[in-house]
Amino acid sequence: MLGPSEYIFWLLGTLCEAGVVVCALKKGAFRRYLFLNLYMAASVVVSICRYEVMTHSGFTSQAYLYFYYYSDAVLTILLYFSLTSLYAHVFGELQASRLVRLGAILLLGGTAIFSYAVVQESSAKMITHFVVELSQNLYFVGLVLTYLLWAAITKMRETRAQLVQLVLSLGLYFSLFAANYALRNLYPSLSSLCIALLPVFGFVLPLAWAYAFWRLSTDERIAPARLALVPR
Amino acid sequence: MSRKLAVVFLAMLVLAGAMGLKTAVALHGDGSVIMANGAGCPAPPTPWK
Repeated sequence: MLGPSEYIFWLLGTLCEAGVVVCALKKGAFRRYLFLNLYMAASVVVSICRYEVMTHSGFTSQAYLYFYYYSDAVLTILLYFSLTSLYAHVFGELQASRLVRLGAILLLGGTAIFSYAVVQESSAKMITHFVVELSQNLYFVGLVLTYLLWAAITKMRETRAQLVQLVLSLGLYFSLFAANYALRNLYPSLSSLCIALLPVFGFVLPLAWAYAFWRLSTDERIAPARLALVPR
Repeated sequence: MSRKLAVVFLAMLVLAGAMGLKTAVALHGDGSVIMANGAGCPAPPTPWK
């Protein structure tokens, strides 16, 4: 059974996710960052559906459990496509959109094959095991891809403030969860603290993206340090 | 090497790196999973536990 604080966190998190879509619509960035907004909109819908399933079947029920993990896999795939759409934005000027799409599909296919290879021995609940494994593996692929995109942005001296903010916040989000997961595995004594922090980390991405859409315009540029330097 | 082959090579390199990172992080794990989607949404235990 969940406590009131968990319900409040859940509600606030869902509102933040809806806020991202509202900010993007209001500032005319919805279509420019379509996959990011689709991911956030899907997160809101999934949150509402999870609440419905949980209230009807219970938190510890099989129905909630399966719905949770299957919907999580769908969200992870959407997040993966959001990330690849950011790649398309960064490399768009190099006319490399087709190559980005090819790479994204290859990587998704490769991750699915790898996940199947890992779970094919487990006869019981194989599909569920595969769905969770795929979600986990895609998460780590997303983490590596985000760091590579960070490196590309630095190397290419990307100056679009909104795009940089979106990528940086995604990297921070992935890093927080990965660090939390690593700490939990390395120091089991810290497990309860790490698990308690997870809902807080969940706010990072919606808040940072809402800020990016609300405060930064699509044309806004950041001045690189070498240009901002004023010689005396 | 053509650009398409370079993309295939990079994709495989990313996959290998990501799976290596996952193995390193989860080496001493108890089989728990990362649940990063849905801000504030409570996660149930994994289905096969």
